[in-house]
Formats: sequence, C-alpha cells, structure tokens
Amino acid sequence: MNPKQLACVVLMMFIGIVTYCAQIAHKKVVAMKEDATAASDAANAAEMARQTAEILVTKTKAETEELRRFLTTWMPHAQKIQTEQEVDGAFEFSVRDRGIFIKSRKSEVKARREDKFMPRVVQTTIVVEDEYAKVMNWFGDIEKRLPLARVTACSLTGGSTVRQLRLDVTIETPIVDPAADQIAQPEKKKKA
Amino acid sequence: MSDYICHDFKTPRNDTSKRLPDTFKAIPILFFLSLVGSAYFMTMDWMAYKQAQKDKLEAEARKTELDDAAKKLQDEKASLDSETTKAETLAKWMEGARNVQPISVAISRAMPPEVRLSDLTIERSEQVPANLALSLRINGGSASEVGLIETGLSRLQYRSVSPQQSKEGEVIEYRSTLVRQEQ
Repeated sequence: MNPKQLACVVLMMFIGIVTYCAQIAHKKVVAMKEDATAASDAANAAEMARQTAEILVTKTKAETEELRRFLTTWMPHAQKIQTEQEVDGAFEFSVRDRGIFIKSRKSEVKARREDKFMPRVVQTTIVVEDEYAKVMNWFGDIEKRLPLARVTACSLTGGSTVRQLRLDVTIETPIVDPAADQIAQPEKKKKA
Repeated sequence: MSDYICHDFKTPRNDTSKRLPDTFKAIPILFFLSLVGSAYFMTMDWMAYKQAQKDKLEAEARKTELDDAAKKLQDEKASLDSETTKAETLAKWMEGARNVQPISVAISRAMPPEVRLSDLTIERSEQVPANLALSLRINGGSASEVGLIETGLSRLQYRSVSPQQSKEGEVIEYRSTLVRQEQ
C-alpha cells in the first residue's frame, strides 16, 4: 500500500469515526427528547390528578358542609366532658343545685372499641325520690347539663309517700376523643 | 573542476507509486464535507440536547410542584372525610339522645287530676336508639286518657307505633313504641 492509499484509508477511517460519533450524539439527543416528552406527559398527568383532587375536595366540602357545621356546633359541648370524674361532677353539681334526694347512684365506664371517636361511655344509674316538681326539674336539668347524655331507661313510680315520686334512670354519657383519626384507622389495618 | 557534468535539467522520472484512481480523489472532498457536516449536525444536536434537558428539568419541577399540590388536596380531603365521619357518628348518637324529660312531663300533664299514673317506663331501643318503648299504667282512667297521652306526645313530634292497651279492673296498661317524626 503506497502512502497515497494509506492517506485515503486514514481519511476514510476519520470520516467513519466522525459519522459514528455524530450518530452516537444524535441518539443521545433523541433519548433526551424522549425523556423530556415523558417528563412532560408525567407533569400533565400530575396536573390532571391535581385537578381531580381539587374537584373532589370542592365536592366533598359542598356535600359535607352541613354535617361539619353540626360538628363545629356540638364539639364544644362534647369537649366539656372528657373524664368520668367530670360526668360525676355534673351529676353532683346538679343534685346539689336542685337539692334533690338521691337513693342510690352508681356509674361505670364502658369501652366502645369499634368507635375511636367515642371510645368510652360512662353509664350512670341513679335513683332519686322527691317531690314531683323537684324530680322533673332535676331530670330536665341533668339532660341540659349533659347535652350528649342519652337516657337509655327511665322509670317513674310512686315514692314512699303520696307526694313523692321515684325516678330510676340510666344515663349514658359519651367521652369524646376530638383528636381521633377516623379515616387513618382502616388504612393502618390494611397496611398491617 | 569536477570531471562530472552537473546541470539543472532533471531527467523525466517515473512515479514512485501508482496514481490513485479517480474515485479516490473524492475522499479528501468527502473528508472536508464530513467535517463541516458533522460540525453542523453536532452543533444542532447539542442545542437540541440542551433544550430537551431544560424541558425535562422544567417538566420534572412542574410535576413535583403539582404532586405536592395534589398531596395537599388529598390530605385536605382525608381531613374532611375524617371530620365528616366524626360528624356522622355524633349525629347518629345525638339522634338517640333526645331529651326524655319532656315526654314524661307531657304524659303526666295529659292526666286529669282524678286519674293516677302509677307506673311510667321509657326504654330506648338498642337497635334504633331514636325509638322509645313506652309502657305505663293508669289507675281509674279510661281510653280517653290514652288519647290525651297520644295528643301530648304528638305535640313533641312523637308518633305511637303499634300501641297496645289492656284493662284489668281499674287499671289500664298501655304500651307503644314512640317514633320521632321529622317535619
């Protein structure tokens, strides 16, 4: 091979190398363009997801406005009673305030495991005996003092004297946990 | 003076190597063209690469921002759902926590002075706490007193469902389920 041919071969090799490099560079550009398109598609999908979430939030807000207003109105009353002692205190205060005679009183705490928002209920069974007006006024007063209290059973019978009335009443007062996360619980269970 | 004659004329010499074929003469031209072409294309590719890289970064930044916004909205939705569930639980409880004292007062007031209400029991249903099982005994009364009781209860928006009454001598026993009627 003479030097001219050798020079030609070298030039051809050079042309080949340059073409190869250009191809490699072009492939990289194409790959980067594809990445950019994929990133743009992902961003568009994220935008769609955000819009969907926004619509869902707006819809939920509108649909649950009344319920949430109800909760806002009642939560201060629910938060007033947080312990069994506070329930007992309300009964004692009411009895003292109304000057009514109590024959017996007992209270016990019942757990409600299925309900995280109302995890406990204080069940109070009380027997009072006094004049009709006093008994009824006390009954109304305790229901007013404990607005969340639920009278599960009540029995009015004659008292030991003609003027007296005996009231046996069982009242359940819920202890509300305002910080309870009602939604997070099932998710945690699913993960477990 | 040298014996050899030296002069400027060069004798014609044969090529030391063979001439290249004509087609091979295009190789240097191709070389230069490839240099120019590759310079052009690589510059364009470089610019396109930079642009694509910039677009990708911008798109990724936009996606991160949108994901954060969506996450915030999802959190807000979860909070709303939690609040709604709490409100529903409380509302359900409150539905079964309506005051009983007005019922007992209404029944007592419905009784005429000559009639004696000897027993009055109100029990809340376990399945449907809004419903109340009413049971009472009247001494010295008649069916009209039962009507008065039902009228009194209807003023409190309670309706007697499946009422039963029996009379044994002077005593009337009356049972019914009180269901709240929403207006």
